[in-house]
Amino acid sequence: MTYTTFNQKTFDTLKQPMFFGETVNVARYDIQKHKIFENLIEKQLSFFWRPEEVDLANDRKDFNDLPDHEQHIFLSNLKYQTLLDSVQGRSPNVAFLPIVSLPELETWIETWSFSETIHSRSYTHIMRNVVPNPSEVFDDITRNDFITRRAVSVTKYYDELIEKCSFYSQLGEGTHTVNGRTIDINLRDLKRTLYLTVASVNVLEAIRFYVSFACSFAFAERAKMEGNAKIIKLIARDEALHLTGTQHMLQIMAAGKDDPEMGEIAASCKDEVTAIFLDAAEQEKEWAGYLFKDGSMIGLNQTILAQYVEYITDQRIAAVGLPPIFNTKNNPLPWINSWLNSDNVQVAPQEAEISSYLVGAIDSAVDTEDFGDFDL
Amino acid sequence: MNQSTKSGQTSSGDASCRNNHQEDFLLDGSAPEHEDFSLEADSVQSQLDDEPVQNCLILSVEDSEQPEPSAQINLDGMDKPMHKVSIEASEEPPQTLSFQHAQTLLESLEAQNITVNYQCREGYCGSCRTQLLEGEVHYTEEPMAWINDDEILPCCCIPKTAIRIKLI
Repeated sequence: MTYTTFNQKTFDTLKQPMFFGETVNVARYDIQKHKIFENLIEKQLSFFWRPEEVDLANDRKDFNDLPDHEQHIFLSNLKYQTLLDSVQGRSPNVAFLPIVSLPELETWIETWSFSETIHSRSYTHIMRNVVPNPSEVFDDITRNDFITRRAVSVTKYYDELIEKCSFYSQLGEGTHTVNGRTIDINLRDLKRTLYLTVASVNVLEAIRFYVSFACSFAFAERAKMEGNAKIIKLIARDEALHLTGTQHMLQIMAAGKDDPEMGEIAASCKDEVTAIFLDAAEQEKEWAGYLFKDGSMIGLNQTILAQYVEYITDQRIAAVGLPPIFNTKNNPLPWINSWLNSDNVQVAPQEAEISSYLVGAIDSAVDTEDFGDFDL
Repeated sequence: MNQSTKSGQTSSGDASCRNNHQEDFLLDGSAPEHEDFSLEADSVQSQLDDEPVQNCLILSVEDSEQPEPSAQINLDGMDKPMHKVSIEASEEPPQTLSFQHAQTLLESLEAQNITVNYQCREGYCGSCRTQLLEGEVHYTEEPMAWINDDEILPCCCIPKTAIRIKLI
């Protein structure tokens, strides 16, 4: 399968699986195999926001008043989120677009990835407003061991998939020798790598962001760094939608209606997917330890954050149809729900009540009866 | 033609009314001394001083299962239909509540002190996923989050019949 930007073949789009079918040619949305992706695109577009809309004037003052260990918590979280969104701003495009086979899914991947670039831009907006020298913070992301260590587990599935797919597209299936290295490429193995990659992205969106979210909202509960919390709220709203996207991808793959081989692979990967969830949870708990190494913040400490990680892991793993790992029942940080609720996200006054506010939405349907009481 | 004549009549009829309240609508000249309309506020007292901004945007404190006071007379004289909602949870004894006035099942449960996990409250995050054991629900908004065949999203549905649900 060689990638082509416009597939000249004529084929029935509705008969294609999500991935590894014919490459997409006409970007048409009049017929859809999985309507959910079109719904996700529309929802994501209605969520559009710009970081500059959020005023951070008070956050600089708040930040300077924070004790050192709380500044460490705040900056470390921002660094980690910057890493995650740097990855997410490009990887879905690079990894999934060459192998995707449905136009609505292709566009969802692009829309999804684009919204992550807005998140990345918002971190720069926060840094510019909060710290005197943003470079110091950004430069530390590639130097800080605690962050780079986690970068590996975030990116390894993506990188493996991208490498294998590029060999597959150039050389096809079979055993190849490239630069003295023997590479075995077969489609079933590629599909397996794809399934694990989507699972790892699901974990990224579902668990990895939430420790940072919890800290940002804990600051805002004390009326500190409220501009930042507002941005994080907007990011959390987007991430919840991306999470729904990857959950649907995993469930469609597991159902096997789309591609029966994918269903078999999903069934055989249950242990590995559980391990991905467990690894992420352990790493996040470790990260909580690093955040609070010099002291806890008011309202949040390492133990309670670790409990929250376990709780959210159980919630997320259940949503993809696997048994919970930690068997937690109650949310240890119930106040977070109201921060994560998008009804409360206020971008502009006219959008305060309805989050999918459509600009210039006019009812253009006119019936002759509308002129019933009109005469000259 | 008819229309323009009508409007002409109305405007002349209105003129006397307008004069009576002219002092309230001075567009030119000095602003009237009136506490509600001072142009320069002395100081804007922020109400958010010590409390998180969350509190002023937050969900209503009203009880969703109490009928809203309405100025309009209810002509058909019928109450909203009421449905029985039975709840099972793994650790607690089963409870029976009723759904009548709330906008969504989630609001109804919250108003009756049942804690349900939630996040987006509009059907795309799936946090409130609940198992439907018996009965039918109607979705007021199309749910986007993944739910299995026997599950519902209380944040965007209302019961159509008596229902029995199990909190996950």
